[in-house]
Amino acid sequence: MSEATFEDAQRELETIVQRLESGDASLDEAITLWERGEELYRVCSEKLDAAHGRIEELARRVEAVKP
Amino acid sequence: MKVEAIEYGDRRVYSVAAFNRGVAEWLTRLPTVWVEGEVTELRRQDRWQSVFLTLKDPADGACLAVTMPRGQFDALRLDLENGERVHVYGRPELFEARGDFRLRALTIERFGLGDHLAALERLKRKLADEGLFANERKRPLPRFPRRIGLVTGNDAAAKRDVISSITTRFPPARILIAETYVQGPRAAGAIVDALAAICDSPEIDVVVLARGGGSFEDLLPFSDERLVRAIAACPVPVVSAVGHEQDTPLSDLVADVRASTPTAAARLVVPDAAELSARLDRARATLARGAAGTLDRERRRLDVARDHLRRAPLLMLERKRAALEHSAGRLRALSPKATLERGYAIVRTEAEIVRSSDELARGARVDVELGAGGFGATVEDTR
Repeated sequence: MSEATFEDAQRELETIVQRLESGDASLDEAITLWERGEELYRVCSEKLDAAHGRIEELARRVEAVKP
Repeated sequence: MKVEAIEYGDRRVYSVAAFNRGVAEWLTRLPTVWVEGEVTELRRQDRWQSVFLTLKDPADGACLAVTMPRGQFDALRLDLENGERVHVYGRPELFEARGDFRLRALTIERFGLGDHLAALERLKRKLADEGLFANERKRPLPRFPRRIGLVTGNDAAAKRDVISSITTRFPPARILIAETYVQGPRAAGAIVDALAAICDSPEIDVVVLARGGGSFEDLLPFSDERLVRAIAACPVPVVSAVGHEQDTPLSDLVADVRASTPTAAARLVVPDAAELSARLDRARATLARGAAGTLDRERRRLDVARDHLRRAPLLMLERKRAALEHSAGRLRALSPKATLERGYAIVRTEAEIVRSSDELARGARVDVELGAGGFGATVEDTR
């Protein structure tokens, strides 16, 4: 899971959402998909948080160099 | 007179005298005609019976010997000089003793003003037809000539005017002067030679041909075909500053630029030093301002680019987050709700969904989610 990029995870999440929206998944399948979707959401969200942190840190460093 | 031939078998042979006599006699049948040309090699001596001269075609140099009885010649009171253009009325004849062919002149007329005008007009048309005066032939003058050639008469006025006009306007100007005849029958050839000598000198970038005002005849050498062609063939641009405004010698038409006065000629061949330095000062000021302005502009542009750069990643992050939240929203809205509404329930421990009773023990705490709402429960027994 940690290998997947944000875009891959996001794309998979979108595929799952569409599959669920189509309404033809069985109950078991729907629950599995939903779980997987929540997992993907968590992964994506963490990646965004990490990116945000890095950007802010970088900006702080640049500001420190430049008067 | 009968011309007798000697017979050698079937070959008829004439003695030289007989041949000359025969030709001379035949020539007398030719009409008396007018011939136009330039007087050269005029020979007249008081003790001679005849006056001799050679008539030369100014266009291609073809020559014709002319004789005239001295008495008749003197009676015309022409004061002819070599180089003058004349019309000779005469008969062709052969001087039998020498076999010399010549024109026996009955009268000679100096080429008059009307003749000159007509000849000039013809020449002008001919040269114009050749394209010698065409605008496409005009060359631009150099902005900073290394040396200026000045072809002028040794009369002071025109020369002094041109030189002082040039050096006043541009003090460092270098001028090479070729003095020459600018008037009279020998002038055209002399000017051509002077022009050639100037052009052969090193670093000459432009030539000024200068002559003060004068009568129509005075300016005629500047309309001479040889000079016009020499100007056209000149390797560097030529400025013609000949005569006054109203005069238009052919040199003015063939030159690359015509100047009506010496001052005008100076304006054409050298830049104004004072104006030049003023322009230089202005250019330098503009340059400094321009450089500062450019610097400011670039700095501002860079600042904007930096702001964009700083904002861009966060902006992108925001967009991705929004897209993600959108997907998540849809995911949650879809959570198997429809199924739950049909009467099913989802049982969880902590966060895991319970799929088998094997995962549960008695007394375990579970969450039960229903179509609407949910409740907590404790497992009593498993099956």
